[in-house]
Amino acid sequence: MALNLRQKQTECIARMLNLNQPVNATGTANEEVYKILIYDRFCQNILSPLIHVKDLRKHGVTLYFLIDKDRKPVHDVPAVYFVQANQQNIQRIIADASASLYDSFHLNFSSSIPRALLEDLASGTLNSDSIQRISKVHDQYLEFVTLEENLFSLAQKNCYVQLNDPKAGDREIEEIIERIVSGLFCVLATLGVVPVIRCPRGGPAEMVASALDQKLRDHLLSKNNLFSEGGNFVTSFQRPMLCIFDRNFELSVGIQHDFRYRPLVHDVLGLKLNRLSVQGEKGGMKSYELDSTDPFWVANGWLEFPEVAVEIETQLNKYKKDVDEVNKRTGGDAGAEFDGTDLIGNTKHLMNAVNSLPELTERKQVIDKHTNIATVLLGEIKERSLDSYAKKENDMMVRGGIDRSELMGVLKGKGSKMDKLRFAIMYLISSETINQPEVESVEAALRESEVDTSAFQYVKKIKSLNVSLASANSASRNNIVDWAEKLYGQSISAVTAGVKNLLSSDRQLALTRTVEALVEGKPNPEIDSYLVFDPRAPKSSSGSSHLKGPFKEAIVFMIGGGNYMEYGSLQELAKRQQPVKHVIYGTTEILTGVEFVEQLASLGQKMGLGNPGSPSTH
Amino acid sequence: MMAKSGQSSYRDRTQEFLSVAERLKKSVPSPSNAPAPSGSNSSSAKTRSEDRKSTVAIQSEFNKRASKIGYGIHQTSQKLAKLAKLAKRTSVFDDPTLEIQELTTVIKQDITALNSAVVELQLLCNSQNESGNISSDTTSHSTTVVDNLKNRLMGTTKEFKEVLTMRTENLKVHENRRQLFSSNASKDSTNPFVRQRPLATRSAASASTSPPPPWANGSASSSQLFASKQTDGESQPLLQQQQHQQQQQMVPQQDSYMQSRAEALHNVESTIHELGNIFTQLATMVSQQGEIAIRIDENMDDTLANVDGAQSQLVRYLNSISSNRWLMIKIFFVLIVFLMIFLFFVA
Repeated sequence: MALNLRQKQTECIARMLNLNQPVNATGTANEEVYKILIYDRFCQNILSPLIHVKDLRKHGVTLYFLIDKDRKPVHDVPAVYFVQANQQNIQRIIADASASLYDSFHLNFSSSIPRALLEDLASGTLNSDSIQRISKVHDQYLEFVTLEENLFSLAQKNCYVQLNDPKAGDREIEEIIERIVSGLFCVLATLGVVPVIRCPRGGPAEMVASALDQKLRDHLLSKNNLFSEGGNFVTSFQRPMLCIFDRNFELSVGIQHDFRYRPLVHDVLGLKLNRLSVQGEKGGMKSYELDSTDPFWVANGWLEFPEVAVEIETQLNKYKKDVDEVNKRTGGDAGAEFDGTDLIGNTKHLMNAVNSLPELTERKQVIDKHTNIATVLLGEIKERSLDSYAKKENDMMVRGGIDRSELMGVLKGKGSKMDKLRFAIMYLISSETINQPEVESVEAALRESEVDTSAFQYVKKIKSLNVSLASANSASRNNIVDWAEKLYGQSISAVTAGVKNLLSSDRQLALTRTVEALVEGKPNPEIDSYLVFDPRAPKSSSGSSHLKGPFKEAIVFMIGGGNYMEYGSLQELAKRQQPVKHVIYGTTEILTGVEFVEQLASLGQKMGLGNPGSPSTH
Repeated sequence: MMAKSGQSSYRDRTQEFLSVAERLKKSVPSPSNAPAPSGSNSSSAKTRSEDRKSTVAIQSEFNKRASKIGYGIHQTSQKLAKLAKLAKRTSVFDDPTLEIQELTTVIKQDITALNSAVVELQLLCNSQNESGNISSDTTSHSTTVVDNLKNRLMGTTKEFKEVLTMRTENLKVHENRRQLFSSNASKDSTNPFVRQRPLATRSAASASTSPPPPWANGSASSSQLFASKQTDGESQPLLQQQQHQQQQQMVPQQDSYMQSRAEALHNVESTIHELGNIFTQLATMVSQQGEIAIRIDENMDDTLANVDGAQSQLVRYLNSISSNRWLMIKIFFVLIVFLMIFLFFVA
């Protein structure tokens, strides 16, 4: 039983669209009811990557509106509301009900609606004498955005800033933790599993883990809980593991440049909710959809960009060959002798050609789409020489440093301000000790190219704090040499040479290594300090050995923003394992490098760092 | 039985909501003194709905018809599934020709009836829209319903056509197999299709003294089939049938079995042809579905623009109202002044 989050969530939505009636095998309701769907902004984000207008029609949805839109009454038609449970939406629903826009209201809330809001809703509809229109109220536990089979996001903005804000009080932190926990709870409820929770000690990760553990425990106490049906023998026997990490665990991934197709598309072109807008040939914006229905995207998303370009070329050639083939078979041999058998052959070919046309046009569309995207990408890469950024950053992480002249060359070379800033921060993270004069010269170079250095300052500050507490958390220092030393217990120089060669082609992220160790469950100094929570076990007897055993399925959750690079690395890990493991990756929000650096910068400004004199980076 | 995974991930809070409402009702007397619980309220709602304008009646009429058509389409597709199962049978000896023919006629009638029903529904929808006293959302709702029904009918018709095509293929295969096992030259002459072969093929076949290979016959008939399918002229099948009958009269000593098979083939053919007509009719009605790959957030920009437009309209309205108010006050003031003058100086 593989955990397929996307499929599960789509099923839930289909059920909701059918007024929570049983759904038959073909995925449509037995009885056709035409209805209207109303959602708010957040729920639109949930719906749009999962379900298209065509599918909505299949489920009998004729009209779909944002809740804020000015809507006209439609009589005799039920309305399905799918909204977040908040005051604003409740007020709007009450207004709709009292204006008797629709005959019956089926309310679905993306998470559990609090009692107070339910009371508000009841009193509001009572006062306007429209309570009989509210026919159903449901909690859906769907408050997360699933982008791919194994990728989800809680779509909670600026988590990193809020959690690391020096001015944030306990209350605010608790609120954020609470939000994250409820989002994770929704994911688990949709999957129908109670996992074993692992997390590093300290920081937001532990807070989230223990709060989630508590919430699951509280929930499991009640008899009729959300997991009772899903908790049959098989699932309780093989439970997945949920690893919760904090972005500070590995800062570099959020900043680094990557040269693979999928991260590149996300980082450079701003892939959002599986949708992408690029400048078309004729100047107009074109938007494309990139998800699991696109075979090319699925097959080649993790290749390096040059390989993707080659792949597009081969696909195009193959397509051309196929078209030629069809042409040759149908119309090419006009001069051939006209006899019976040939005629028959011709008509057959014609039929075949007609049948194969839709498939060919579909392929052509996919190729066109990726050609356009790749062209735009190539332009960006050339202009900003992203390839050298990616390569040098990778080198830096592997070697733990860089030549001074090379460093300065990059900082004075091509690329946007943000690219330079990201490179400088990467330099800071990768270097073991802070080399004061060098850092100062880097800073000067940044100032010279008018870059807002507050993010740089912030990382520097964190780094200096980290260095002083170096022994506290070696993993977050993210140093490959250190890791090698710990793991093999050998002298650095003996190992590094080999490791370097091994990793320069296929460098693994610290997160991936840790997840691998956690999944395998073998004793390992890196993860021995990790906390274990088991919501199913009684509180006293925690930490029994079976909880550490090898897991087949893992859910990795990153607090404070993740990206496609991390996702790709985890998926690679899952495929490499024998037997193949299943890893779902989730994060509070999906961030591009630029967005993440902006968050760092705002943190730096909050700490009073940075240089107010220089203009802002955007 | 619901999917297990689905069942676990949502909660019905209706009862809780109702109990909250009940409690609130007791504590706060509701402004309207109709404290019926929502269960029995449906009847009162019904009576109220009867009082509504006639548009509501039309709307419910529309809904009734739409659901009826939807149900019809559903039933037809079930019949179609049965037909497909029958047509898939490839055994030579157990050939349910009669059953298939019956089903085909029934489905054909169904589709024709549904087709006209959809057209009627469209007319109703149009007349409703023209009457103008319904909201724009209602209009688009009903348009979408009609479109949806059309699409589904289209899909069903397409499926029907596919099943029939499959049936002809199967018949052809049977023919071939028969030829293979009982083939000799004399049999060949009794095959009604042979005489219908294109001139070129016949001459080619007769030129060679040896009997043509069995597959040539089958494929010849297939060429016939394709030809009739591809010609758009309606007279074609009729003509063929006439020809066919003439030939039958001319050659009375025909194998009756062959005849029946040939008829079956022709039936299927003509049905396909008729279906083609319905198809074109539908195709003109159905606007091509550009919506297939549309995502719901693609309307976002539209909506935003609309919202902005609405706001600016509101501001303008507010301005016009306030200026009107000023104008009224001014006029009033002038009138009063005149009245004063009249009262004090004239009277």
